[in-house]
Amino acid sequence: MATESSESEEEGKIRGGNDKLIVDDDLREMGKNAAWSVSSCKPGNGVNTLRDDNLETYWQSDGLQPHLINIQFQKKVRLQLVALYVDFKLDESYTPSKISVRAGDGFHNLKEVKSVELVKPSGWVSISLSGADPRETFVNTFMLQIAMLSNHLNGRDTHIRQIKVYGPRPNPIPRQPFQFTSTEFITYSTLR
Amino acid sequence: MLIFGFVQNPERQRFIRLRDLARSPREKARLLKFPLAARDLLLRDNLTHTHPSFCSPNATAPSLLVQFRRQNMETLLANCVEKNLTQFMFSNAIFLCERLLAQFPSEVNLQLLARCYLSNSQPYSAYYILKGSKTPESRYLFAFSCFKLDLLGEAESALLSTEQVPGGAAGHYLLGLIYRYAGRKNSSIQQFRMALSCDPLCWEAYAELCSLGAAGEASVVFGNVAAQRLQKTNVSQRINFSGGETMDHLIDSDKVSKDTCVWQTEHVSGENQQDLKVKQLGAEIPPDSDKQCNGSSHTNGWDLKTPSPVLTQVLDAPPPMLYKNMRRPEVEGLMYVHGESRRKFMSEEESLEAPEESGRRRSARIAARRKIPLFHSYGKDSHVLHHSPSESNGVPSLSSMIGKCRIQSSKEATTSGQSIGDTGSSVDDEQNSNPRGSSPNPFSLMSGISEVLNLLKILGDGHRHLLMYNCQEALLIYQKLSEKQYNTHWVLMQVGKAYVELQDYFNADSVFTLAHQKSPYALEGMDTYSTVLYHLKEEMRLGYLAQELIAVDRLSPESWCASGNYYSLRKDHEAALKMFRRAIQLNDRFTYAHTLCGHELAALEDFEEAERCYRKALSIDTRHYNAWYGLGMTYLHQEKFEFAQHQFQMALQINPRSSVILCYFGIALHESKRNDEALKMMEKAIVADARNPLSKYFKANILADLGDYHRALEVLEELKDSAPHESSVHALLGKIYKQVKLYDKAVLNFGTALDLNPSPSDTVKIKACMERLTVPNELETEEDL
Repeated sequence: MATESSESEEEGKIRGGNDKLIVDDDLREMGKNAAWSVSSCKPGNGVNTLRDDNLETYWQSDGLQPHLINIQFQKKVRLQLVALYVDFKLDESYTPSKISVRAGDGFHNLKEVKSVELVKPSGWVSISLSGADPRETFVNTFMLQIAMLSNHLNGRDTHIRQIKVYGPRPNPIPRQPFQFTSTEFITYSTLR
Repeated sequence: MLIFGFVQNPERQRFIRLRDLARSPREKARLLKFPLAARDLLLRDNLTHTHPSFCSPNATAPSLLVQFRRQNMETLLANCVEKNLTQFMFSNAIFLCERLLAQFPSEVNLQLLARCYLSNSQPYSAYYILKGSKTPESRYLFAFSCFKLDLLGEAESALLSTEQVPGGAAGHYLLGLIYRYAGRKNSSIQQFRMALSCDPLCWEAYAELCSLGAAGEASVVFGNVAAQRLQKTNVSQRINFSGGETMDHLIDSDKVSKDTCVWQTEHVSGENQQDLKVKQLGAEIPPDSDKQCNGSSHTNGWDLKTPSPVLTQVLDAPPPMLYKNMRRPEVEGLMYVHGESRRKFMSEEESLEAPEESGRRRSARIAARRKIPLFHSYGKDSHVLHHSPSESNGVPSLSSMIGKCRIQSSKEATTSGQSIGDTGSSVDDEQNSNPRGSSPNPFSLMSGISEVLNLLKILGDGHRHLLMYNCQEALLIYQKLSEKQYNTHWVLMQVGKAYVELQDYFNADSVFTLAHQKSPYALEGMDTYSTVLYHLKEEMRLGYLAQELIAVDRLSPESWCASGNYYSLRKDHEAALKMFRRAIQLNDRFTYAHTLCGHELAALEDFEEAERCYRKALSIDTRHYNAWYGLGMTYLHQEKFEFAQHQFQMALQINPRSSVILCYFGIALHESKRNDEALKMMEKAIVADARNPLSKYFKANILADLGDYHRALEVLEELKDSAPHESSVHALLGKIYKQVKLYDKAVLNFGTALDLNPSPSDTVKIKACMERLTVPNELETEEDL
């Protein structure tokens, strides 16, 4: 599972953040196959900045709350983790505070999957999409929407510097029900 | 004062032609060799200006003087250039050679300059200066420059503009490479075969034939015909050295033999170089040499038409008379002593000899090793006249000097040092020295040839079997080698590769590790080593290897392949792709780098790009079955099962024993609903490699899909015993037990499967299955299972 930063006693509160993004080996980034869009943006701080692997550039919204980031896939994918890079020290009142993650088939039937509250985050913040049930490790969906409901210090617009979406790795061997675990099987499973 | 060819009479008035001083041909030859003796002759004959052969001083002496000065400058410069080339002082050589060419424009000097440029990695310069040249050597050099510049069409036309391909074996080999690069497989096979028939020691031609899948049996290729050809080339080489032969004689004699003893290709591998020294052993021409000439040229004609079957039809030419009649007991003793003692013995022998003999022998040794045409003679001493075919103002009778070879002592030093260190072989380096006197030793020549050919037979056989993927046979054959030969890098790489193809990665690892320890500078085959470490999941060792290799040579594709494999092992496919792309940039024809790129792109699920990479790999080498396999896998992922079948079939045509490919072929067949064939394929896979557990696993899976649960359970239970730690086996067992309604067994197996740490998605699946066990009637979606 994803490594989360320190969680307080209240459910869903995330303090701090990691400088480095540390993700499990069995997860892979899924954002490349998706169409990214935002509800509004300031010219020069558009949606590209969210995916440019540059922590200096950021997306700045320019409209009414809630500010939305929409991630749409061409087919149903299994997602497990969302990682955001936000920094209170740099962005202060632009830093998002309450975030809601919603999933669904499209804009018409999004349902909230996870809700978190960030408290002065600085660095990478990981939001796990898994439920308590082991069967709910993944969210199987066409679309993911990340909604910034409110900001720190009641700011109007929000800054997000980078965002990544993770899902499980597919079975390297096609058309098989289960993945192999022992070295012997894995050795014989591919030629290189 | 003495100027070559002429001597000034004691009164210093006239120049007298040395030739005219001599009273007999023998004296003439002697005079030409030892011009200082002319002085004695002059005194002997008390010659005065009344001698009829005196040239008239007024008319010709000054122009003659100029001529000689010019020839002195030319020879001086030419010698210096040659020396620089052998000592790798390329810029100096180029500078001097440009002055030489400007002052004395001639075909030979042009070729020398081209050689300087080519040595200095300036094929473009060589290309421009040689454009339009017609002589065979120039055409060869020009074709070589074109080849380096990737101008294959021009290279081909340069080599084919006359009937006889210039350069002999080297020319044929170059032409074969050109055809291969252009994708003209049959022509290239033909050319490589011709190269081999011209020069049986052209190993690279044989290696290329193996990789094209068209190699004949090594015992035939390196058999009697080859022995005779080698002997003949050494015989004619001997002729050149025993003085007095004219240029014309050389040209008229068997052209092929001249070419083979003259030309060496740059592609000659290490073992070949030390084998070349064997060629030094010459013999007097036996009277039946003509017959041999005819015999081999006859078979040459045959070789052109058909592959290996022809070679077996070769006339059983009579064994050469040489060693039968001229055996020397002391030499015999020499020949059978192997190893260091032999070498020492020979060097002692050598030191006893007259300097003249050793000089001549050394020149013989050097002549065969150098990379320049025989009929250019730049002697170490300035007495030898520089000759060029187009020069007409030189003294024509001195063309006899053409028969002498270039004497390059420094070159000898470097090449002999290199060859000793090269393979550490048991074939003696000093074998080429003529132990006693001036008469050559035919028996030692024959035994030398047979030893070399025996070695090449073993290596050729092993290599051929390896590239036909008969790995067990290849391993057995390589075991026949002596320990010294076995422990060379090339052989160890072959052995390692054989183990890799057998999927025996542990043994492969030990072989490669040994090889790498012995020669950490040798990068060939290190890409395969990195693949072995990748399969064994040795991240640290792989990382270390990659770093080491890059430190040795940042510009070799193998190093970047190793680092790419490292990143791939860490699942950082983007970085791995970058590394493999670097390898491709360094050498576009490095097939494996393209295939590895394809693998990475497939892992990143960019199947189109992956296909492109695989096809590029296949365009370079159609027999690279990994690329066919990769294509099949991408099609399997994309659910294009018919396409996948085709790719796997192509892969199996090349390597029919790979159980992995058989398994996936079976899967593709199963997905296309050709289930009987699928099961047959799985059976084949199980037979091909009993250690491969996947063939049984896939078989059970197919049986379960077909509803034949009992057989599937049988197979899986068996498999469970041999591979108890594999979670997927238990998971599949659980699934099948559920189907046959043996719920308690199913639960047991699911539990075991969960204990064995499956991947998260599998954990989800298995848990879901377990939940549903309690409610068997509930509708199950396809997705979950």
